[in-house]
Amino acid sequence: MIEYLIDGPLWYLSLVVFCVGVVWQLGSIIFASRKTDLSVARDSASSGAVKTVFSRFLPHKEIAPRIRMQVAAGYMFHLGLFALLFFAAPHVLFLEQHLLGFGWTPMPHWAFIVSAQFAFLGLIMLWLRRMVNPVSRLISTFDDHVAAILTFIVMLTGCFALLEGSTALRLLHRFTVELWLIYFPFSALMHTFTFVPSRAFTGAWFGRRGIDA
Amino acid sequence: MDHFLPKRFFNCLARSTSTVLLSLSLFLPQLSNAAVPQKHEDFPQGVSAINPGSELWREVRRRDGSGEFNEVNQGLLVNELLHEIRKGQQMPQGTSQVDQVDGGVLINAQGKRWALFRMTTLADYSAIAIAVIFVIITLFFVIRGKVPIEGGLSGNVVKRFSDYERVVHWTLAIVFLFLAISGLILLLGRPLLIPLFGKDLFALLASASKEGHNLFGPLFLVSLIMMLISFGRRNIYEKGDLTWLLKGGGLIGKGHVSGGFFNMGEKTWYWMVILIGLVISISGLVLVSPNFGQSRLIMEFTHIVHVVSGMILIVVSIGHMYLGSIGSEGALEGMKSGYVDIKWADAHHDRWGKHCHEQDLIVSAEEYARLQGQTGNISEPATEQGK
Repeated sequence: MIEYLIDGPLWYLSLVVFCVGVVWQLGSIIFASRKTDLSVARDSASSGAVKTVFSRFLPHKEIAPRIRMQVAAGYMFHLGLFALLFFAAPHVLFLEQHLLGFGWTPMPHWAFIVSAQFAFLGLIMLWLRRMVNPVSRLISTFDDHVAAILTFIVMLTGCFALLEGSTALRLLHRFTVELWLIYFPFSALMHTFTFVPSRAFTGAWFGRRGIDA
Repeated sequence: MDHFLPKRFFNCLARSTSTVLLSLSLFLPQLSNAAVPQKHEDFPQGVSAINPGSELWREVRRRDGSGEFNEVNQGLLVNELLHEIRKGQQMPQGTSQVDQVDGGVLINAQGKRWALFRMTTLADYSAIAIAVIFVIITLFFVIRGKVPIEGGLSGNVVKRFSDYERVVHWTLAIVFLFLAISGLILLLGRPLLIPLFGKDLFALLASASKEGHNLFGPLFLVSLIMMLISFGRRNIYEKGDLTWLLKGGGLIGKGHVSGGFFNMGEKTWYWMVILIGLVISISGLVLVSPNFGQSRLIMEFTHIVHVVSGMILIVVSIGHMYLGSIGSEGALEGMKSGYVDIKWADAHHDRWGKHCHEQDLIVSAEEYARLQGQTGNISEPATEQGK
C-alpha cells in the first residue's frame, strides 16, 4: 500500500505541486506591479543586469577574505548537488525512463560519490556557519533551517539507498524527495529559480542609475 | 513592520493553499485513475543503474559452489586440502585463471578466524568499553558533580574561538558522530539490534549504515585536515604542560591547575584525534577501496586496526563530550558562542586569562549581549586570533 502510494499518487501530486507552485511564484514576481521609473537613465539597465548576474558569482574583494569559507562551502554544496541531481547514473536513468524520455551520459560511479561528499560537506558547513555566526543566526528564518535540513535528509536517504538492493530504502528516498518537491515552491529553496531574476533586477536598477556595484 | 509579518505569513499561506488546491484539481484525473484498481508496476519505480558494489555482491550470491566436480577422481585431493586447512594455519595456494590477489586460494582459513574474532572478541570488548566509560562518567558525575567556577561566572567574556574554528569543530563532531553510530550499528548490531528490531529491519539498517559509513568516511579525513590547520599551532606542547598532567588536570583534588590557551589534557585529546583519526581514515580508505591489490589478510588486519582505533576514539570522545558540557561549568560556551567567561578562562587557562587581562580583550556582559544580537549595533571586538 505504502509502495503504491509513494510510487504513484504521491509522486504525481508532488510533481504537480512543484511545477504549479514554481510557475505561480515566478509569475507573481515577474508580473508584480512596479512603479515606472521616470528618471533619465544614466547608463544601460540591460548591461547592468547582465553584469550583475555574473559578477555576483564572486564575492566583493572588500569582504572576500572574511567569507572565504562560505564561498568555498557554497560552491561545494551547489555544484555537488547539481552534479548529483543531473549526472548521477540512477537519476539520469530515472529521468530518461519515467519523465523525459531521453537521457545523457552519466558520471562514473566514483565521480557520483565524490560529488555527494562535496555536497554533504558544503551543506553541513553552511548550516553550521548559519548557526554559529550571530548575524546569520538572527537573519535566518525557520524556513531556512527547514529547507537546509530537508535537503540534507533527501541527500542522506539517497546515500542510504546507494546499494540499490532494497526497495524500502529506495521508497524512503523517494518519499523524502516528494516532501522536498512539495515544500520547494513555498520556501527559501525557490532561490534555485529566483537568484537570476533577482540579480538581474538589482543590476538593472543599479545600471540605470550608473551605480558600479 | 508589526503588520508586515502577519500579512506576509497569510499571503504565503493563501498562496500555498491555492497552489495545492489547483494542483489537486489538475491531479484529479490521476486520482480517479488511482481509485480504479491499478497495478503498482504501472507507476514509475526505481531504475537499475549499475552500482559496482551491488554488482559485486550479486555476483558473489550467484555462486552456488557446485562447479564441475568428480568425487571419485578429486575426492582424495579435496580431503587432503580440507585436512590441511583444518590442521594448519596456512592457506594452500593453487593455480587459477583468475588473475587477482588470492586468486589461487581455495579456502581462506584465516578468514574464518578473523570473522570469529570480529563477531566475538572485538564486538564483546567494544561493547564492554562503551559500557565501562558510561559507568565511570556516571560515577564521576555523582561523586564530583559539575566542576564549578569559584564564585560563579562573572558575565564578562573573552573571545576564544572564531566562527570558522567552531564550524570546523562541529563539522568534525557531526561527521564523527555519524561514523561512530553507523560503525557501532555494523559492529554490534547483530547481537544487540536483531533481538530488538528483527532481521529484516536490521538488514535495512545495516545496509544504510554501511553505505552512509563509506560515503562519510572521507569527509572525516577532510575535517581532520581542517582541524589540523586551524588548531595545530596552538596545540604544540610547552613548558608547564607536564605539571598539569601530574596534578590530574585539577580533577583530582581541589583547585584548578595552571594552563595556557589549551591545557595538557586538551592538547593530548587533540593529538589523539589527529593521529588516531589518521589511522582510522587511512585504514578506512584501504577497506573501502579493495581494488588496489591488497590481499584478504591485509584487509582483515586493517579492519581490526580500524575498529580498535575507532573504539579508542569513541570511548575517549564520550569523556570529551562530558567534560565539554555537563562536566565543567562554562566550558560549552566556548564552542557555542565563541566566547567564554573570563573567570572560566582564569580558572582553567590562567596563563591565557592573564594574557587577556593584559591585552584588554575582555568584553563586558552588555557588549556581549549586543554581539549576540539582542540589542543595538553589532561590532567585532579585538581578538588575539585576528580572525
